[in-house]
Amino acid sequence: MKNKEISPMNILMLFPGVGFILLFIGSSIFLTLVQSFGLFSITGISEFTLENWKAILQTKESIDSLLFSLKMGLLSSVGTVVVAFPIALFFRKGGTGKGIMGSIIKVPLFIPALVAAFLILNLISYHGLVNTVLLRLNLIDESLRMLNDKFGWGVVFIQIWKNLPFVLLIVMASLASIRDDTIDAAKNLGAGYWSILFRIYVPLAIPGILVSMILMFIKAFGDFPIASVAGPIYPASMAGRMHIMATIYQEWDQAAVLGVIIIVTAFIVIWAYSRLAEFVKGEV
Amino acid sequence: MALTDNKLKIPLYLIQAQRERRFYLLLTIFFMIVLIFWVGIPIFMTVMWSLVDPKNPWSYPNLFPPSFSSAQWKYVFDYTNIGRALRTSYSLAPLSMLFSLVLSLPTSYVLGRKKIPGKKLLMLVVLLPIIMPGMVVALFLSRVFTALRLSQTFFGLVLAHTLMSLPYMIRVMTTSFQAIPQDVIDAAENLGASTFVKIRDIFLPMIRPGLLAGMIFAFTVSIEEFNLTFIIGTPTFETIPTILYSFMGYYFIRTHASVVALLMMTPNIIMLFIVERFLKSDYLAASLGKM
Amino acid sequence: MSKLIIKNLTKKFNEVLAVDNLSLEVSDGEFVTLLGPSGCGKTTTLRAIAGFCYPDEGEIFFGDRIMNNVPPNKRNTAMCFQSYALFPHMSVWDNICFGLKMQKISRQEQKKRISRVMGMLGIEGLEKRKPGQLSGGQQQRVALARAIVTEPQVLLFDEPLSNLDAKLRVQVRIEIREMQKRLGITTLYVTHDQDEALAISDRIVVMNSGHVEQLGDPYTIYRNPRTSFVAGFIGLANIYQGNIIAKNGNRYTLETSFGKVTILSEGQKIPKTNKTVKFIWRPEEMKIYTKGAPNRIKGKILQAVFMGNITDIFIDVQGNKIRAQIDEPAKINAGDVIEFSIPEDAFSILRG
Repeated sequence: MKNKEISPMNILMLFPGVGFILLFIGSSIFLTLVQSFGLFSITGISEFTLENWKAILQTKESIDSLLFSLKMGLLSSVGTVVVAFPIALFFRKGGTGKGIMGSIIKVPLFIPALVAAFLILNLISYHGLVNTVLLRLNLIDESLRMLNDKFGWGVVFIQIWKNLPFVLLIVMASLASIRDDTIDAAKNLGAGYWSILFRIYVPLAIPGILVSMILMFIKAFGDFPIASVAGPIYPASMAGRMHIMATIYQEWDQAAVLGVIIIVTAFIVIWAYSRLAEFVKGEV
Repeated sequence: MALTDNKLKIPLYLIQAQRERRFYLLLTIFFMIVLIFWVGIPIFMTVMWSLVDPKNPWSYPNLFPPSFSSAQWKYVFDYTNIGRALRTSYSLAPLSMLFSLVLSLPTSYVLGRKKIPGKKLLMLVVLLPIIMPGMVVALFLSRVFTALRLSQTFFGLVLAHTLMSLPYMIRVMTTSFQAIPQDVIDAAENLGASTFVKIRDIFLPMIRPGLLAGMIFAFTVSIEEFNLTFIIGTPTFETIPTILYSFMGYYFIRTHASVVALLMMTPNIIMLFIVERFLKSDYLAASLGKM
Repeated sequence: MSKLIIKNLTKKFNEVLAVDNLSLEVSDGEFVTLLGPSGCGKTTTLRAIAGFCYPDEGEIFFGDRIMNNVPPNKRNTAMCFQSYALFPHMSVWDNICFGLKMQKISRQEQKKRISRVMGMLGIEGLEKRKPGQLSGGQQQRVALARAIVTEPQVLLFDEPLSNLDAKLRVQVRIEIREMQKRLGITTLYVTHDQDEALAISDRIVVMNSGHVEQLGDPYTIYRNPRTSFVAGFIGLANIYQGNIIAKNGNRYTLETSFGKVTILSEGQKIPKTNKTVKFIWRPEEMKIYTKGAPNRIKGKILQAVFMGNITDIFIDVQGNKIRAQIDEPAKINAGDVIEFSIPEDAFSILRG
C-alpha cells in the first residue's frame, strides 16, 4: 500500500511538523538540562557545576515537593483508572440511555483544566456545597478540609473529575475490542462472573489501562495550575516550586534542576511502561 | 423437578430473567442520576455564583443565593480586562490553528503514506509537546524566546500555541492520510491525473473529516492553553485562562471567577456537541494518544 | 443419560418470533443438525440450549434435569463458535485448559486430557502459540479441542466451518463426525450448508422462519421432502401440482400443466378428499426416453450446460420450465427437441 522510496523530498516534507517540534521542545529541554549544571546561566557566571544539584537535593522543601508530586501522580492515575474501569464494564453491556450517558460523561473532557479546577473548588471548599450537605445530613460534625489541605485531596479529586472521560474512552476502546463470543465461550466453559473479569476483561484491557495511567501520571506529576490553586501551601508541587524558584527567587539554575528531575521522572515512567507492556504481552 | 414456583405458578426461569432485567434497569437509572449530579452540579453551582446579587451576598448556610442579578457579569465586562482577554484568545486560536494545519500537512502526508525508517521514533517526537510537563517547557522555552526576542510578543504566543496544537493535528492528519486506499490514487494516475489534480480532487476531499477534527482540536487546545501563555505572555497579553487564573489566585473573587469560567466553558461545550454529532469518536481516541 | 429434550421452545425478539414452538428429542450420542437459511431460528435454538438466551416459553431438559434456570456457565455443554472465539491473549494450551480450570480439575488430569485431545486432533506442538499465530484450520481444531476436553454432556456447533475454505470444509467435517462417533457425545449442529448436513448427520431438522419444516434422516429428507421449502432448500427440485384423474391403488395419474404423469406414492398418504396433489421430483431422476419408459415428456431445450459428469438442462415443456440433469454422453444443444422420461417412484408428495 505504501511507496517504498525514501526520497529527499519526503525528508524535507517532514521538516515543517517534526522539525518545528524538535526545534522548540529540543531547545527548551536542552536549556533546562544545561542550566541545571550551571552553563548558559543568566546570572553572569557560566561554568559547569554541581552546586545547583546539591542545593536542591539537600533541601527538605525540594524532597517534600518531589514526594508530594509523586503522590499526586500516583493517586490521580490509579484513582481514575479504578473509577473508570467499572464504568467501562457497565457501558460495554449496553442498554438504554447509553447514548445520552455517553455524551454527559464526556463533558469534563471539553472543560479546560483550570475551569474544572474552579468548578470543583466551588463545591469542596470549606463552606461549599459538599460540606453543607454533609453537615445538614449530620454525617459529619465539622466541615472537611478538602481544599488546600496538607494531603492534597482537592487536587486528586479535581484530576479524577477532569480526566475520567479521557481514561474512560481509552479503556472502553480496549474493552470494545473483546468480542462477545469470546465472553460467551468463557461462560460456556464454566467461567463465572469473577473468572471472566480477571481472566478475560482485565488482561485484555491492560494495554489501554497502562497507556492512560502513564499519560495521567505525567500530567498530574508535572501539573502546575491545579496544584497551585487547589493544593496545599506547603509542600508545593514540583512545577509550583520550580516556578517560584525561577520567577520569584530568580534562581533559574536551581529551577532548572527541578525541571530536569520532572523530565527525567517522565521519561522513567515511559520507559517503565514500555517494559511493563512487553512483559504483559509476553506473559499473557 | 420443581418447574414452577408453587405460590405464583410462574416458571422460575422467567422470574430470574425478570429479576436480572430489573437489576440492570435500576443500575442504569442510578448511574444516570449519579452522572447528572457528577457533571451537572459543578456547572450549576458556577452558574449560581455568577448570578449572585452583590447587595445580598451568598454565604453559608444558604443553599441558594438569596437573590439573583446580572451585576457580576456587568462588572466583569466593564471593569476587568476580559474584553482584551477574549480578543487575544480568539485571535490566537484561529492563527495557531492555521499555522499548525500548514505545518502538519506535508509531515502527515509522509508519515501516513511513506515507509520511513524510525517512524515509531518520529511519532514519539511528535507527541513530545503533550508528554513533556507543561511548566518545564514553558519556563525554559521562555528563556529561548527571550534570547530570540520573541518573549512578550504576539507572534511568540502564536508559535507557542502552534507548538501545542501540532501533535494533535499531525496525529489526526496522519491517520486520515493513511486511510486513503492506494488503489484510489493508482486509479487516478491511471486516468491521467497530475499532482495538482491529485491533491485537489483526491487528497483534500478525502482528508476533509480529519482536517475538520484536527482544526477543532487545535482551536480548543489554543483556547485552553495556560502554562506557556502564562510565562511567555503575561503581563503584556492576557488570555481567558490566564485571566481566570488571576481571579483564582491572590485576588480571589468567586463571583468574577465564575463569570470567566462560564465564558471559557461555553465554546467548548458547543464544540462537544459538534464533535459528537458530526465526527466519529475514532478521531477522538486516535488523537488522545493511542500509543 | 445425556439425552437432550426440547419442549415447545418459543423465543421472541422484540416482535419477531425467532423460534416458534419447537420440540425435539436428541438421543444419547446422536448427531442432529439444525439446517436452514439465515434467520430461521437455528442459532437462537442453539443458544437457548447453551443458556445464552432465556426461552419465552418451553423447557429444555438434559436427561431428567430441567435446565431453564441453570446459567450458561453451570450447564455441562460445550460450544464451538463460528468465529472460534479463542482467547486471544492465551496460548493454545491455556485456551484448551480453560474449561478444565473452571471445573477445578487436577494438574495431572489436565495434562492427560489435553495431550490426548491434541493428539486426537493432530495439533501437537502448537501448545505455546497464540491464536493470532495459527491458520484458520488450526484455530478451528483448537476450538474443537477446547470444547471436547471438558467431556460435556452436550456438544454444540454454531456453523463452525463457514470461515474455512471449501476444500478444508469437506475434510474437517468428516473429522468432526468421526471424532463425535468415537466419543459418543450427544451433538447438536447448526449450519446453512445442506451438503454438510446431509454428509454428517444422523438426523436433520430443516427449519424455516422459526418452525420445523421436516425432521428425519438425510436419506428421507432428500428423497421424500414434505414441503416445497424442504424440496427447494435441499438439492434441486421441479415442483408442480396436478389434478387427480385416476387412481389405482398406490398409483395416481395426474393432469398437470406439462402433461399427464403417473406417480407412485409409497407410504405417502393422500387424503381421499384431495382433488389436487403437489409433488416434486429431482432433476437427476430424469432420463432420455427409451421405449417403454414411464412418464414420457417431450420438450425443447432452452439451455444445456455440459459440466463434465453431468449435463444440466432446462427444458420447455408446453410452456413450463423443467430442469433435468443427465449423465449420458450425448451432446445436447439449445433448440433441440428431446424426449425424456421420469420413473414413477421418483416423485415425492408435498404437504405444504
